[in-house]
Amino acid sequence: MATRHPSRVTTRMSDQERFPLLTDAGRALLKRLREHPYAPKYTAECGNRLTAEYLARVKAFEKELQTTPVGWPVGQYPEWLDGFVELCFAEVPFYRNYGERPTRFEDIPTFDRAELSRAPWAFVPDSQALDGLIVNSTSGTTGHPLTVISHPVVGGSYTPLLKAALAKFGITLTSGPGEVACVLVGYQQKAYTYASVTPDQNDAGHLKLNLHPADWRNPDDRARFLDDLQPEIYTGDPLAFAELAQLPLTHTPKALISTAMTLLPGLRQQLETRFQCPVVDIYSMNESGPIAVQVTNSASSVARHQLLHHRLYVEILDAEGNRCPPGARGEVTLTGGFNPFLPLLRYRTNDYAALDFSGGAPTLLNLEGRAPVQFRAVSGQTLSPLDVTGALKPFALPQFTLHQDAAGALRMRVRGSNANPEEIRAALLQLFGVAQALTIEKVQTFGGAGDKVIQYSSDL
Amino acid sequence: MLQEGPYLETLTRRLAETPPDFLTEPKIGPAGMVHVDAVLADIVRELGGGSLPEDVARLLNPPAKEAKERRKFLRLALLVGWLLADPWFRGKPFAQLALDFLRGADLQQLAQMLDAPKLIADAERREELARLVLKALNLRPAGENEAQAQDRLMTINSSERQRVIAAARAAEERARQIREEMARKAAEEAADKWSRE
Repeated sequence: MATRHPSRVTTRMSDQERFPLLTDAGRALLKRLREHPYAPKYTAECGNRLTAEYLARVKAFEKELQTTPVGWPVGQYPEWLDGFVELCFAEVPFYRNYGERPTRFEDIPTFDRAELSRAPWAFVPDSQALDGLIVNSTSGTTGHPLTVISHPVVGGSYTPLLKAALAKFGITLTSGPGEVACVLVGYQQKAYTYASVTPDQNDAGHLKLNLHPADWRNPDDRARFLDDLQPEIYTGDPLAFAELAQLPLTHTPKALISTAMTLLPGLRQQLETRFQCPVVDIYSMNESGPIAVQVTNSASSVARHQLLHHRLYVEILDAEGNRCPPGARGEVTLTGGFNPFLPLLRYRTNDYAALDFSGGAPTLLNLEGRAPVQFRAVSGQTLSPLDVTGALKPFALPQFTLHQDAAGALRMRVRGSNANPEEIRAALLQLFGVAQALTIEKVQTFGGAGDKVIQYSSDL
Repeated sequence: MLQEGPYLETLTRRLAETPPDFLTEPKIGPAGMVHVDAVLADIVRELGGGSLPEDVARLLNPPAKEAKERRKFLRLALLVGWLLADPWFRGKPFAQLALDFLRGADLQQLAQMLDAPKLIADAERREELARLVLKALNLRPAGENEAQAQDRLMTINSSERQRVIAAARAAEERARQIREEMARKAAEEAADKWSRE
């Protein structure tokens, strides 16, 4: 997730800049959300940044979503792919360095997160104007931390994509002025939290909140605030939803949308029972935005994630880079996307699934992405990988792994950094507790294929 | 001292007429069709050589993870092979010099600057490759003396390098603008979105 820490934001904006199309109703709602007696101690301010032109582009994308079939015939390519590849080779420095475009699509080299993280600017097409450019820095819960160059239209386009996912469950969002459409919940030591409005939902409210008790004047305010807001949906990750389920909430949302890490069937069932609504798992990443939505229930033996939109072409590649036939498991590899600053051309995601075409739209079977990981401090308090990333951020470590064994001991391996191990130790002990068992090793390589690593793991 | 070689026009016309087989995607990992090491091995044998030395074989058959770095070089190596298959060279003891050329910096640098199809479409680039191959074999084009051959190579090398340097400067300027904008925006608020990753 984006972990722009509030302390790193030094250029404050006005609400006019954050919300270029703010209506009177939107302004009134923002005031209510910010000054609410049970509101959290917001740590930041953030807006949709959508001008009239940008909103028109979001709405145009929404129309495309509603009218363009998803997918491509088995053994063939989407119609848009040829022109997209042509643009990549003509205009994108990273792909231009490959040399002339190969005749066959499968002869185009692949690339991965490590290469993207080294030079994100090399993926910006030559003709792409830099107006509206924004920067999202990801926390790197898997592999390398990553800076993704993006645009308000990209963030705005998440709204119609999530709505398209909800439509598969017969859910339509009806919120409007003065109401709250979506609350995004997290559970971390520190997080970026704010209130916003969404012009693509008639200026209905959208909030980003942290359910950690330290973010609230009174921990009981969490349930009071949320019950007063009555959001149509919650979005968040499984760890945050597990905390949400503990709160004495009485309001029933229309749905929970889970992203960022694998939603295990047991938790999904618990959440569905607790909140009496569908719990929708969406496969999404910073590099591409939302990709696919799970259309099977928790009792299914095969999890099926159906592709959400028409602007992605998905391949499954084996360890040698050969394309797998439908039904065979391999690495999910993406081409396309809707971020004009990051056209993806055979991007290997380090997530695994098989591809199936039997249900209409291309579907990923038994997707394995990021497993939910929890750490435990000496005090017994649960810590999220995001808390660890926050603690280690000052060291700008290029690559590291952290594992907690069943007895609670931590083992950290660091590659390619000159950071002082004692300073790293001090930062981690501050988070976990001074009595925390911790070993830190410097390594030359992690030894995996292509040096891919699972950054955070735990035997707890 | 450079010995007299074939007429330059023979080689540049040969390059202009490169058959599709020598422009086919080189095999690197799962991608491509042409085994460049096998093609060059045959040609080196025609030049009096034995099996490809291990380092050259590795150079011409890199692992899949090196695809991006080595693709252009392999495509150029195929063109060099096509040139060396010219009847003028056949049966003459050029194997060792040919292998040294494949290993050398001149070919690596040319590969970084230009891809094979663009090279054969450009008259001056065809001439440059032909002259580089001749120089590597200690030859000069028929009808030129040593000084003329060296002067001409230096001139066309230089014009291409000027073009490449200008293109590299433009690319770096664009990259710098983007990085500057990123640095400026990194201190600003971003834009919200309904879900996290």
